[in-house]
Amino acid sequence: MTRASDRLLLSGGGIVFVCLVVVLIYQVLLPFLLIIWTSLKVAHPGDPEFLELSFTTANYFRAFAIREFWEASLNTFYFASVSTLFSFVLGTFLAWTVVRTNTPLAQFIGMITLGRIIIPGVIITISWILLASPSIGILNYFITETTGVRRFLNIYSFWGMVWVQSLEMAPLAYLLMSAAFQSTDPRLEEASAIAGSGAWSTFYRVSLPLILPATAASALLLFIQTVESFEVPLLLGGRARVPVYTTEVYFNTARTPTDWGLASTYAMMLLVLSMALLVVYFRLVRHTERYQTITGKDFKPRRIDLGGWRYLTCALSLLLVFLITGLPFIMMLYASLMPRFQPPTLEALRDVTLVNYRSLLADWNYSVRPLWNSTLLGVGSASVVMLLVAAISYFVNKSRVRSRKILDFLGFAPIALPSVVLGTAFLWFYLLVPLPVIGSLTIIGLAYLTRYMPYALRFVSTSMVQIHTELEEAAAVAGGTWWKNLYRIYLPLLRPGLMAGWFWVMVHAYRELTIALMLARSRNRTAAVIIFDLWSNGSFPQLSAFGVLMFVILIVLVSVGQTVGKRFGVQEQV
Amino acid sequence: MKKIATTLIGIISAALLSASYAETLYAAAAQTPAEQLYAELAKLKPDQRTKRLEEGARKEGKLTFVHTWRGKIAREFGSAFEKRYSYIKFEMSDLGSQDAAERFIAEERTGRHLTDILSLAVPDLAVVLKQNLVARYPTPATSKILKQYGGFVDKDNRWTAWYWSEHGISYNTNLVSAAQAPKEWFDLCKPAFKGQVSFDPAETRFLAGLYTMMGEEKTKQWLKCIGENQPIIQTGHTQRMELMLTGDHAVQGDNYLYAGIEAMRKNPKAPYAIVYTAPILAFAGSMVISRNTQNPHAAALMADWALSDEAQKLTSDFLRGPLTIKHPYLPDNIKLVTYNIVSEDITNRLHEAWNQYIGRTK
Repeated sequence: MTRASDRLLLSGGGIVFVCLVVVLIYQVLLPFLLIIWTSLKVAHPGDPEFLELSFTTANYFRAFAIREFWEASLNTFYFASVSTLFSFVLGTFLAWTVVRTNTPLAQFIGMITLGRIIIPGVIITISWILLASPSIGILNYFITETTGVRRFLNIYSFWGMVWVQSLEMAPLAYLLMSAAFQSTDPRLEEASAIAGSGAWSTFYRVSLPLILPATAASALLLFIQTVESFEVPLLLGGRARVPVYTTEVYFNTARTPTDWGLASTYAMMLLVLSMALLVVYFRLVRHTERYQTITGKDFKPRRIDLGGWRYLTCALSLLLVFLITGLPFIMMLYASLMPRFQPPTLEALRDVTLVNYRSLLADWNYSVRPLWNSTLLGVGSASVVMLLVAAISYFVNKSRVRSRKILDFLGFAPIALPSVVLGTAFLWFYLLVPLPVIGSLTIIGLAYLTRYMPYALRFVSTSMVQIHTELEEAAAVAGGTWWKNLYRIYLPLLRPGLMAGWFWVMVHAYRELTIALMLARSRNRTAAVIIFDLWSNGSFPQLSAFGVLMFVILIVLVSVGQTVGKRFGVQEQV
Repeated sequence: MKKIATTLIGIISAALLSASYAETLYAAAAQTPAEQLYAELAKLKPDQRTKRLEEGARKEGKLTFVHTWRGKIAREFGSAFEKRYSYIKFEMSDLGSQDAAERFIAEERTGRHLTDILSLAVPDLAVVLKQNLVARYPTPATSKILKQYGGFVDKDNRWTAWYWSEHGISYNTNLVSAAQAPKEWFDLCKPAFKGQVSFDPAETRFLAGLYTMMGEEKTKQWLKCIGENQPIIQTGHTQRMELMLTGDHAVQGDNYLYAGIEAMRKNPKAPYAIVYTAPILAFAGSMVISRNTQNPHAAALMADWALSDEAQKLTSDFLRGPLTIKHPYLPDNIKLVTYNIVSEDITNRLHEAWNQYIGRTK
């Protein structure tokens, strides 16, 4: 049978395909070429020799010769592997509990899990220092008081880093896996149940294999994001004596002038690693038709009845979300009400004040305007990114255009670029190309588009591969145009992935620091720049107050986003 | 695909050529208008000079400034300048000193003259000076600088020093008594302070100060014995100070001393003490004017204003060291080691020694 999508180049799809190629070349390929070029140069950008057509591998030899680099690489591998495993298990358990079971308080648990993403990473890490530092950690204080054991917990350790990082990453795993669980046809599970399998057996033998693409995507993203993580290695890794890749890049490039050759070389190595992981991912999901569970037949997600076990899953989930979100949020709220940085004690509670909120809100230009800038950037870049990746994912998974894999490669390749390198590439690029974007929100938005495309792409692709092409073929037979099919069939069915991705991108764009810091000037400062400002000035109480304000704004934005999203898409059968 | 590749090469070539063109233009300019103006101004009497600067600034009507103070104090500093020169449309960014230098270099190298004047720590200036990016600005304002800070003044007028900052030792008085406290820099190597002394990761400006105080060999010995005493390496000066004051560890092997004084302003009971017996390492913060500034009159006004009574009083209120009046909290008889720029070769060797003995995280 001829697939409807084969005719897309003659329809509206052809125009979209060409536009996508142009956008990806501009947004991804040009910064990449700049980085590849720089990694093969000893001269700095801007030097006359930088433009000459002579290249060297000196930067690569130099990078490999740094002993600490290899030590850090090994640490990074352990740190990323263990954190990925833990966060995946935590996130998948929560996603399954919330989306596919009749566990009480499921929606509340889901909401609180996602709430974690909203709290800035710096605040979370400092909160855990206050909770589990050997000297001043409040948890250690309680343990000593009740058991007499001193310094039981040590956040400044490899396992302390893994703990904080796993909790940091668990909501991402939750988002990816819940999108996949929502798109899984329950009739297969029903068939398993009719055949006599229990809930666990059904999950293991039916549900899990069906969500293999999402599992692979989750593991891939969790691993890469942990490799890229910075706050935890910087704030805990120094004391834990666990140097990792990002701290090595940071310390190797922290001196002025920045060694752009070395920084670009590190970026290239991360690119190679990411590409290798992507190849593994593609091999795992190469038979996409196996995962197509959303067909033209009736489809309604349904929850599994766990019987009495639902109370256990409820208790476990509540404990997890308390650790993931509740405890750091309480610490942030507590600190925001303190006039100065102090561990939580009864004596400290006497000093509760709103002075931090008052001073932030009184200074409109300093704190409120950046919050508005971040709102525009968060909502704008999330919406544009999701539309872009929906189109990319369609061509990659549902068309037979010969060069479609290039789209996936270009869309995913920026994952290999550490934020500092990407921010610098954009800064250099727009200094070189005299477009009037420096100092505007546009330059940050363009960088975010490149930055978050890979993550958004995996969110949507995991849902896209589950949609059977027979739906589009049926629509084509009925005379539906390409545009109509995309709007009427794919977008509604992709809703779980699109909403999860939109939420993830919006919140991360809101929180993003490194790129915003590189590209910020007086008028385009974002909320994250203010967070960094407050952090570097040591104003933890004010930083926490700002974090609470950001939390409230993001909750409102997410609620609005969900309301809009619910206007189209499948209805869940409870 | 061939067409795509051709188009790509075209776009890249255009981008690189535009940079090349800008670079050529930049290299060709032997003396910029700003430098010519400052040379002429140096010949005028003070009142004529001021008049010409203010008239010129009025015509320019704007100024782009990068401050390396952060947050509220930077904003208050900027607001005071704006109030004094209300006819200048003032645009300020606040960045760390090294980031500011990096961004300034990037702008100038690509021929985009977006910044008129920056406030940079003098030890971070080496790379900017090396690339000949700053205008020489002789100003009579420096004559007000107190004698003890004369070492901060650049005889070649490449920067205008306007405040000073410090690296010194301090401790938590709940964890260390005055008698047990370190008295000298080498005391930090004592077994009593094993695992109790914190530092930020290696910083050129700190290493340059140690070098000025001790010389290269002794600095390396100090780094070695500090490394053997299991120091705490944690990024973030103010956070590190806050952690020490909450009892996380006992001693700040190096930090800005004002961070503790600021904490005491918020909480007078904060357990903080400065080690006055060990020399304090002092470096200047300076105003640096871009040689390609588009607003040379307004930039010069800013450099001069930074040494005005008003700006110096603000500097003191913010607990930084003013150059024309008394320091807000340090006594006059303090042992001060002042320094400016230490050569790149030496700082590279000191960084290597830091990595060898202390490591980035060890």
